Amino acid sequence: MAFVVVENVSKTYSDQESGIGVPVLRAVSTEIAEGEFVSLMGPSGSGKSTLLTILGAMNHPSQGRLLIDDIDVYALSDERRADFRSQYLGFVFQQHHLMPYLNAIENAMLPLATLPMSSLEKRRRGLEVLEKVGLAEKAKRLPNQLSGGEQGRLAIARALVNDPPLVLADEPTGTLDTKTGDEIMRVFLDLNRRGQTIFMVTHNPENASLAHRVLHIRDGELEFAPDSTAGTASRFSPAL
Amino acid sequence: MRISTIALASLRRRKGKALFLMSGIGIGIGTAVALLSLSGSLRDEIGSQLDRFGANIVVTPHSDSLALDYGGISVAGVSFDQHQLSDADVAGISRIRYRKRLSVIAPKLIGTTEVDGRKTLIAGVDFSSELRLKKWWRLTGRPPESPTDVLLGYEIARAVSAIQAVPGSLAKTDRGTPHHVATPEEIRITKQKVSLGGREHRISGVIAQTGGPEDRMVFAQLGQVQGLLGRSGQLSVIEVSALCKDCPVEDIVAQIKQELPHANVSAIQQSVRARAEAVDRLSRFSLVVSAVVLAIGALMVFTTMMGAVVERTKEIGVLRAIGFRKTHIIRSLMIEVVIISAAGGVGGWLAGLLAGRLALPYFTEGGAQMELRLSLAVFAVAVAMGTGIISSIYPALRASRLDPSEAVRYV
Ligand SMILES: Nc1ncnc2c1ncn2[C@@H]1O[C@H](COP(=O)(O)OP(=O)(O)OP(=O)(O)O)[C@@H](O)[C@H]1O
Ligand SMILES: [Mg+2]
Repeated sequence: MAFVVVENVSKTYSDQESGIGVPVLRAVSTEIAEGEFVSLMGPSGSGKSTLLTILGAMNHPSQGRLLIDDIDVYALSDERRADFRSQYLGFVFQQHHLMPYLNAIENAMLPLATLPMSSLEKRRRGLEVLEKVGLAEKAKRLPNQLSGGEQGRLAIARALVNDPPLVLADEPTGTLDTKTGDEIMRVFLDLNRRGQTIFMVTHNPENASLAHRVLHIRDGELEFAPDSTAGTASRFSPAL
Repeated sequence: MRISTIALASLRRRKGKALFLMSGIGIGIGTAVALLSLSGSLRDEIGSQLDRFGANIVVTPHSDSLALDYGGISVAGVSFDQHQLSDADVAGISRIRYRKRLSVIAPKLIGTTEVDGRKTLIAGVDFSSELRLKKWWRLTGRPPESPTDVLLGYEIARAVSAIQAVPGSLAKTDRGTPHHVATPEEIRITKQKVSLGGREHRISGVIAQTGGPEDRMVFAQLGQVQGLLGRSGQLSVIEVSALCKDCPVEDIVAQIKQELPHANVSAIQQSVRARAEAVDRLSRFSLVVSAVVLAIGALMVFTTMMGAVVERTKEIGVLRAIGFRKTHIIRSLMIEVVIISAAGGVGGWLAGLLAGRLALPYFTEGGAQMELRLSLAVFAVAVAMGTGIISSIYPALRASRLDPSEAVRYV
């Protein structure tokens, strides 16, 4: 059994004005194995973010099931699903969404705030993930005192602090220039090489191709992609 | 890193908004505290004025005869009484439901006896309560200590030659107006003992002239007089003083009547009551104004919090997405509100006290004090927090229901 199983997931949003249902995802099925790095590509409005939020246990599908670690995620109650996210998932948002009033280490520790854990242990973990993304020196900085790439890495650190089996990222390089985008991708690849399962939405074909597998979505339907084998672009080879 | 860490950091970040909310609540609480402490001080002033007037409830036996007179109150004669008052009735009065509101219960037995051979009114009293009741009495000498000590009224003391004018003031008394009232300093006790019904008693003090019935009376310890008159355990009248700031005199009268069905219970209406009613109206007005100002403060908290929720949609969505429960979101917002409103409550309390103190002289004839009441501080902070919390419940619930997937889609 794969670690993540998406079973015939459909999502229909009702149009705010007419109230008519607009199908966004149509019977999507796929699987993600443990340790896999999967990227998702598709045109704007094709339903990428919708699929990601469904995988993220925070957007109830209209039909179908999501199993993660054999848990039927949407059979859980709302509060239990919050606990599930806290235990199983790490999120990297496109805009990073760091808390502007918390410094780097506090931002990194944010997902631990609700957990029963000594503050010493929380700090230790926060520092550990900052080290992982190369930000340990800048632990006391506020987000606006960090570069775009550093903010992205901080967002990844926050996604990793609860040691999640699955990391979800929605266009983590979308707002960054190529160089800082590469910086982020390097962190992802590094994490994946150490066994981290990653699901990433991206517009950038080059970044997508760094994953083991690329999924293509169009009008809410997954396309069969012939070229879905793993590939690592040569420009990263020296670094890895 | 705990939920409170987030709340505190968020407060620090949004100082301006926090101060705005704090002052909103502070103004409401300040207004309430100023008005309440002001009307409280006025009540205290009236209360002490009422206390100076002495008893406000008089308990006498049912009787047809009007044998003896005491201060305009008829005191029944012995022989015609169906029902005598007795020591047990004092216990009865101290059993009523409002007993905590009673400050003094002063039982007396009144009769006649021979003082150095003169027929005189004598009152047996419990000196400790009697002296508390008759605050206007001024003594030359000392309050009685031993059971055989007596106090003489001014006229009696003169009649039995127990006092003399102090040299120097004598001339003034003689020469002065006929209405001159001798002060305790102007007289001197010249006699140690007096005989009551043939028995020797020590004169411990003389009551300075009051112009009232006590000038022509002798006061001795209740038990002694009961023995002297052969009326053991009996009483002629019980005077009761209630703590009158907010005493429901009518209710107290009714309760005493219920406890002592055989007695006459009557309340003495005081002219001060008119003023007490004015103050009552002031306190009611204060409460209404405070409530209105607080309601405005609550509305302010409500709209500001609703705004904050919209403003923080993204932030709250992110927190939900990374595993915060709804209750965690509510808790984090509530911690902020509690801190803001507690600070607003303390600030408002201080400001209100200051304002009340500054305004006090314009409302009183001077002499009124503003007590520092801990209860008012507790009340202020509690109401502030209550207002803050209640007006934030709905915004916090709204916040907790935000869709976390919005946070991801946000551009
Ligand atoms: N909450 C919602 N209510 C109504 N319609 C929605 C909602 N969320 C998404 N949609 C619609 O669903 C479709 C897919 O949206 P989604 O955000 O998944 O696209 P996307 O592939 O992530 O696009 P992009 O590349 O621009 O981010 C869009 O047409 C969008 O307007
Ligand atoms: Mg999207």
